[in-house]
Amino acid sequence: MAGLLRRLGLCLVAYAALAWVPLVTSEYHTHILVISLYYVILAVGWNLLAGYTGQFSLAHHTFAGIGAYTSALLVQRAGIPILAGVVAGAVAAAAVGYGLGSLCLRMRAIYLALATWAFAESVRLLVTVEYQITRGDLGLAAPLLFGTPRATPYYYLFLGLALGALLVAWQIVHSRIGAYLRAIRDDEEAAATMGVDTFRWKRFAFVVSAVFAAVAGAFQGHYIGLLSPTPMKFNEMATVIIMVISGGLRTFAGPALGAVFIELLSELLRRWGEIRMVLFALLVIAVIRLYPAGLVGLLRAAGARIGARLPALAPLLGVRRPAD
Amino acid sequence: MALLEVDQVAAGYVEGIDILAGISLRVEAGSVTGIIGPNGAGKSTLLKTIFGFLHPREGRIVHDGREIQRAAPHEIKRLGVSYVPQGANVFAQLTVQENLLLGAWVERGDRGRVGQMLERAYATFPRLREKRRHRATSLSGGEAKMLSLAKELVTDPKLLLVDEPSAGLAPRISTEVYARLVEARARGVTILLVDQNITKAVEVSDYLYVIEGGQVRRQGPQADFADHLRELIRDSLLGA
Repeated sequence: MAGLLRRLGLCLVAYAALAWVPLVTSEYHTHILVISLYYVILAVGWNLLAGYTGQFSLAHHTFAGIGAYTSALLVQRAGIPILAGVVAGAVAAAAVGYGLGSLCLRMRAIYLALATWAFAESVRLLVTVEYQITRGDLGLAAPLLFGTPRATPYYYLFLGLALGALLVAWQIVHSRIGAYLRAIRDDEEAAATMGVDTFRWKRFAFVVSAVFAAVAGAFQGHYIGLLSPTPMKFNEMATVIIMVISGGLRTFAGPALGAVFIELLSELLRRWGEIRMVLFALLVIAVIRLYPAGLVGLLRAAGARIGARLPALAPLLGVRRPAD
Repeated sequence: MALLEVDQVAAGYVEGIDILAGISLRVEAGSVTGIIGPNGAGKSTLLKTIFGFLHPREGRIVHDGREIQRAAPHEIKRLGVSYVPQGANVFAQLTVQENLLLGAWVERGDRGRVGQMLERAYATFPRLREKRRHRATSLSGGEAKMLSLAKELVTDPKLLLVDEPSAGLAPRISTEVYARLVEARARGVTILLVDQNITKAVEVSDYLYVIEGGQVRRQGPQADFADHLRELIRDSLLGA
């Protein structure tokens, strides 16, 4: 309990420490940061499922879409408040995640990936084709949460959400349930031997990660103001995977660092257009070959080196926890 | 009274090929029951079937008066059955303490009891206490084997299924493993032991079964086997 309060305090400190950013950056750069923070939530959620539990779902972006469309449609058609719409989006994603998880999580590795990918494509086609409801490629207008398209208020919202996502993920990973999830990733059959209901906990991780994605997706929809099936393409999933792997799969901070890093890099490389994806692919190959622990591994190695030179700093740099 | 009864069980991994061909045996409460037999006799398959990794095609498995042949492993574990597979079955990425806790948590005991369980495990396996904050990857083969046994014993199971406890271990460590098993029996844990090490199995068991081709070929109390040890070993080496 004391640990939770301390981490909550740490989140508040981090929030305060990052609150000045929109004051000194341009509108455009603040927008990029909002999108980065959106990806932080997606990446942290996917890492919980793929990194810590070992279940490679390829439908994570779809849950963001489900959250966004559910919320926007309910707000627009039923006239419910936006926050209620976001909650409804999260509930819808949880329900769909529960169902899809029940169907797919008994499958192993590649079959799970294929089944979730097929699901993702089906949902995307459905959203495209059912244009009477979703307006398909014409795009669905989502009411703006703060009544303005300016990025600054959304920066404060997404900063809070991203830190909240990190806090929730930390609590899960370092709890009894987290040990079950990591045991499942290590050896599913052995986890069952220990009395862990592997199917149930895999589904738990699946639902939690779906909810992360849906909340992020719904809020992002009410920020951008226009939904389309385009972000439900596989590209988006690939982006999340690249973020998590370049940051450090199975590390705690990795996905968050990777999300910000890749989003910023992606903006820098914008003028090269689609070539970006090739560059990212090369980056991922390089990371896997050279630094499997990603950016986090790189920082740790750097920390260890500095710590060796300046022993006084070592306790600050060398914080390693067993579950990281 | 028999704690475990396997009754006419037939089971296999693919349809049409039964590894267990109508096998029947009993494990008396408080005993060590040994199962020996040549490679491919179905010894490990028998344990996997009892523990629910494999469901029998026909026959019944009764534990403590309850049919368990359709139950899943985690359900069987909750009934007080633990399974120590061959080799070092530990979670490499979890710390030693997390490995031990995993079993204790599943029991859903109150916090005090979890602490007690842990304390007892460390008292029995002092080496694990020293390494409790280390990840299990950093353990030696012998330490990992101890951990895989300790994490099953931590919950005080009624019935412990043990598959080849000495496979691949240095003699000194394998002696320790058997000593821990005998200790557990003295505390009231019933043990079903599958072993290739005939000498050791006969030494620690109260009652033994020889199985071959998925069926019981021979059975009897320890004394019957102790007198014919040489003959048994010769038979098993020649596969007769």
